[in-house]
Amino acid sequence: MKLNTEMQINQISDEVWEIPSSEKAGMLVPARIYATPALLQSMDAGVFEQVTNVACLPGIKRYALCMPDGHWGYGFPIGGVAAFDARSGVISPGGVGYDVNCGMRLIRTDLTREDVQPHLDRLMTELFRRVPAGVGASGFVRLDRSSFGQVMTNGARWCIEKGFGWHRDLEAIEEGGCMAGADPSKVSDQAVNRGINQLGTLGSGNHYLEVQVVSNDRVFDRETASAWGITGHDQIVVMVHCGSRGFGHQVASDYLKVFERAMRRYGISVRDQQLACAPFASVEGQDYFSAMNCAANTAFANRQVITHQIREAFAAVFGRSAEEMGMELVYDVAHNIAKVERYPEGELVVHRKGSTRAFGPGSSELPPRYRATGQPVICGGSMETGSYLLAGTRKAVRDTFASTVHGSGRTMSRAQAKKTVRGEQLQKQMKQRGILVKAVSLSGLAEEAGFAYKNISEVVAAVDRAGITKPVAELRPIGNIKG
Amino acid sequence: MSHGFHFLDDVAIADLAFDAFGDSLQELFQGATCAVIEALADPATVGVTWRQTIERTDEDPAELLFDWLSDLVYWKDAAGVVFSRSELTLIRQDHGCWKLTGLLYGEPVNGSAQTLRADVKGITKHLYEVNQEDMRWHARVVVDV
Repeated sequence: MKLNTEMQINQISDEVWEIPSSEKAGMLVPARIYATPALLQSMDAGVFEQVTNVACLPGIKRYALCMPDGHWGYGFPIGGVAAFDARSGVISPGGVGYDVNCGMRLIRTDLTREDVQPHLDRLMTELFRRVPAGVGASGFVRLDRSSFGQVMTNGARWCIEKGFGWHRDLEAIEEGGCMAGADPSKVSDQAVNRGINQLGTLGSGNHYLEVQVVSNDRVFDRETASAWGITGHDQIVVMVHCGSRGFGHQVASDYLKVFERAMRRYGISVRDQQLACAPFASVEGQDYFSAMNCAANTAFANRQVITHQIREAFAAVFGRSAEEMGMELVYDVAHNIAKVERYPEGELVVHRKGSTRAFGPGSSELPPRYRATGQPVICGGSMETGSYLLAGTRKAVRDTFASTVHGSGRTMSRAQAKKTVRGEQLQKQMKQRGILVKAVSLSGLAEEAGFAYKNISEVVAAVDRAGITKPVAELRPIGNIKG
Repeated sequence: MSHGFHFLDDVAIADLAFDAFGDSLQELFQGATCAVIEALADPATVGVTWRQTIERTDEDPAELLFDWLSDLVYWKDAAGVVFSRSELTLIRQDHGCWKLTGLLYGEPVNGSAQTLRADVKGITKHLYEVNQEDMRWHARVVVDV
């Protein structure tokens, strides 16, 4: 098999591959990659280099992991997972990602494609108007610095208090929509200035809001789907992909600088400047964790405000309340985050960068409504090919620190994609295939063409066969909003 | 005296990378600034109703360029603007520090009048380099979008 690396890779099982710790000086643990042979072959050289760099970080436990949607990132690969001892290990912004708590949210409805199709154009226009996207977009929520501090501290709870959502939404958000330990005093003024006007905005790049259809033949686990309100029968659902916007990025940038200095003091050296880190238990490590939690809460709040706007848009178009249309939250997951979780090794700081938590059935950390099924995992695909709803497993808890894929993962650069197709052409082609796209930037639209991404069905098959998540339903797009 | 930039096809799969160059360090700064301005929006479609002066000093020109480009991203979000052009002056001070005085021109984001492009979230240090070869300055920059 021809791979984009000269490193030795041993096959552990059909979907698990291991680079031994002898392969690079300084590796403290082996690196493990989850992929089918075809996906492994398509992985860029950066994945192998970066996952083995992560394996060199102090306090890492078991393995440095990369999921099947893995590709080159900053410091960690996208799809990277690593767990560090909470007492002797490190925390690294490069293992969280710049867009702290970038994540996915899925909202169900009682509507069917038949109900929505005649009004799709108006619905997408209404959504496009109510959910600002693209460069410099600001949201409708006006905040002073004190209120923004409450958003940082309370996340989605703040939104519910202000009427942007329903109380029961909180149970369907990872961590109840609020990470504990957020301390606004650890956040710079620059970060606040960047974030204070961005609540309720999508951003650009690969972020989107999508109206999707669940058809009967694409429900794979009817019992689990039903427990989560997914009925099939051409049911309409809405998916949101976005994060903490400029605020989270500024937090990451600020602390990369802090950690560059701190590493000298703690005698830590890293193979890549973007892996700058500090002991989790140090003042710098705790300050970053507090600031990161502020950014994570802001992202939960961002997706909650967007959910409110989506419900308002549907109500305006269909003339019924969101409650009457059954617009309940299926779940909200973070896929750029560091969390303290308990495993047999003790308390670990689990970094997931482009990876989703995947607690299995019986996990005490899950709210009662998900305890029998395992946690919903929302896996976002390209705007042309669709997405998946998956369920976490006990095997994920045992094998991958309860982590799995987050999307399909890119295979082509943005610049190449733009050279391959023009935005206007793509928009027209998608309309002919029944997908209505509203985009702020047509060049940005071209960058997100389906051919620039891996085959999501193969990515999902890899984690299914590896046993770390099971497919519940496939979600096909009929309308998409991009920045 | 000349400066310029070009975007790179295969350096950043999920993001945006560019090489900038200039006959002098100041020209290099100008080339890299143009790249970030172009990444955000077509500057020909952006007016000049907003302006901001920024002063920065650093002993290390690479750090100075990184911080300056990060300033553009900061003002894009903090003021909600995109940029049409910039004016830069870079001088070497007596004690060896570089002093940059930058003037940014632009206007508030208006999607109906401007051709908007990528919402750049930040400048990264991935593959970041600033060097001088054969009397010409060069920088490689990867931006997160």
